Amino acid sequence: MRILIVEDERKIAHVLASALDAEHYDVAVAPTGHEGFARVNAEVFDLVVLDLMLPGRSGLEILQALRKRCIETPVLILTARDGVDDRVLGLDLGADDYLVKPFALPELLARVRALLRRGRATDVLRLKAADLELDLVGRRANRGDRLLDLTTREFELLEYLLRHQGHLVSREMLAREVWKEPRRATPLDNVIDVQIARLRRKVDAEGASRLIHTVRGVGFVLREGEP
Amino acid sequence: MAAAPSIRLRLTGWYSVVLFLMLVVYASATFLAVRHEFLEQLDEQLHDDFETAEGFLSAAPDGRMAWSGDRHHDADDERDRGSDVWTANGEPVYRSGASGVLPPVALAATTAAARYESLTVDAHRWRTLTGTTLVGGRSVVLRVSRSEERLRAQLWEILVVLVLGLPLVVALAGAGGYVLARRALTPIEHLATEARRITADRLHDRLSVPNPSDEIGRLAAVINETFARLESSFDQLRRFTADASHELRTPLAVIRGIGEMELKETRTAAEYKDAIGSMLEEVDRLTSLVDTLLRLSHGDAGTVRLSREAVDVGRLVRDIASSLAILAEERGQRLTVDAGDGVSVIADRLVLREAITNVIDNAIKYSPKTSDILIRVRQQSDRAVLEVVDHGPGVAPEHRERIFDRFFRIDEARTRESGGTGLGLAIAKWAVHVNGGAISVEDAPTGGSVFRIVLPLATFPATHQQPTPHMGEPV
Repeated sequence: MRILIVEDERKIAHVLASALDAEHYDVAVAPTGHEGFARVNAEVFDLVVLDLMLPGRSGLEILQALRKRCIETPVLILTARDGVDDRVLGLDLGADDYLVKPFALPELLARVRALLRRGRATDVLRLKAADLELDLVGRRANRGDRLLDLTTREFELLEYLLRHQGHLVSREMLAREVWKEPRRATPLDNVIDVQIARLRRKVDAEGASRLIHTVRGVGFVLREGEP
Repeated sequence: MAAAPSIRLRLTGWYSVVLFLMLVVYASATFLAVRHEFLEQLDEQLHDDFETAEGFLSAAPDGRMAWSGDRHHDADDERDRGSDVWTANGEPVYRSGASGVLPPVALAATTAAARYESLTVDAHRWRTLTGTTLVGGRSVVLRVSRSEERLRAQLWEILVVLVLGLPLVVALAGAGGYVLARRALTPIEHLATEARRITADRLHDRLSVPNPSDEIGRLAAVINETFARLESSFDQLRRFTADASHELRTPLAVIRGIGEMELKETRTAAEYKDAIGSMLEEVDRLTSLVDTLLRLSHGDAGTVRLSREAVDVGRLVRDIASSLAILAEERGQRLTVDAGDGVSVIADRLVLREAITNVIDNAIKYSPKTSDILIRVRQQSDRAVLEVVDHGPGVAPEHRERIFDRFFRIDEARTRESGGTGLGLAIAKWAVHVNGGAISVEDAPTGGSVFRIVLPLATFPATHQQPTPHMGEPV
């Protein structure tokens, strides 16, 4: 999977490139608008991560050129906090998703995965990690042969963690995807922490190996072994 | 656009114009009255002349008319006055003075009644009185005449005096008016000078009010009130800026501190991870703080786009409470919701949700463990009333206004510990206000405090959508 990052801020570009590289994507970086413009026109990518504020050609121009040539490569745009109009304009011009700076890396990786997965059937009936098994049809969860007694919210939370197993999940993602709260707020962060703690007590109880890990300052991850 | 002349000039201008018009009317009336009076006098003199002349005439025994009048008219009189006598058949009996220049009387038009006439001969104006009279049983025609020229000259002089004097009077009055206007407006100039002195740095200064009951005094009082309001908002802003930079600096200081400390010595990977995680936590705090500040500033600038719709407050509150219940549970508190369906308001659901969330979260945070928290939604005439009753320490009366201020904290240490930004209630206040409601706090009868949110009830059909024209950050 080839991903082009068009980003002029050197440190951000580096962080993005390393993070995507660690996920085994083939990453190219274009540090200016001109170079980004040239590369999207000359090469084929599976995904473009596009900063909107660029020297030379703006991200919007690149996006426009891309869509004018009917190239359907998914585009994830990055905008500054206050660039509301840019964001709306970007989506209007055919961007597939956007992230507002400063964004959390787990969030970016999740969006990238989602965009690359797009169009492929993802309907699954069961989710598994180690001896944890989730039956999405019967709404049942098992750890080994132990049936887990989960509330609806806990089930949805566990399902989300399992769908992203092995990947970091931020509180912001949980707030939006599981609690369906469009805005993250401190009270909700506390709610999420408490809910995770309770879920962990049920899932990782009684000497079973730890599956739900907290990564301090970032979020949570469900995986076997160490986080 | 040309600058309008000063009030002083305009006042003087209007004053002069009005005075000028009044004087014109007055002078015209005076002149006309004098003129009328003069002409009347002239006619009376003619009438006297006529009677005198009648007395001078006598019939001689031979039947001829004789003029026995004195002849000592002076030269002026000779030129300005005249008397003519004709017999009934037109023979001149006597002509005197200036009568020579006057045309003879048309006898046919002469009637018994005396008749006044104005004549102009060689641009010289005369006034005559013509009549018949009986002298010795015989009818004679008698005409007396006087020149109008002297009278006209006098009238002309009066007119000249009036016409020349009038602008002079107006000019003098205008100058006087200007001086008066300046004196009347001087206090305003003083006010302006004083007000100019009061800048953002010296907002505590006030205008001096010499006499609070006159117009200027009232104006000064109003300006002083404005300054007071301005000063209080400046103070608020200053405090806010200081608080905000403090709040922003704290996480920065923590991040820097951790970074510097961890770099000093070589640590294990786990220790580094822990340090980085700790730094990221502060970054998170910083991010959410900046977010919140930005949203408040959008709110201040009125650039928040609200999407109003009918919101069932009871349902919303139950939803929020079920979401936050887990926090109360952790603290062993009992969260009770007393809210039926059907109390609807028109509001932006997300914004209102945030307000209520913050208030309930606040109650959970500050209530002691294993206490009761009651959330009540009622309909009160045309308003929806939401009350959050806790058993916390309550809010002292002097803090009740300020508790909704940005960064206001009753207990600094405790808030920071529980992860608050000090903006939760400020956001709640803004969110309630922007939805047309009010938020307040008071003592609960059972101890603790009652936070009350009052919103106008929806009068629209339940599906009504009403977007506001504001553009900007969607909320």
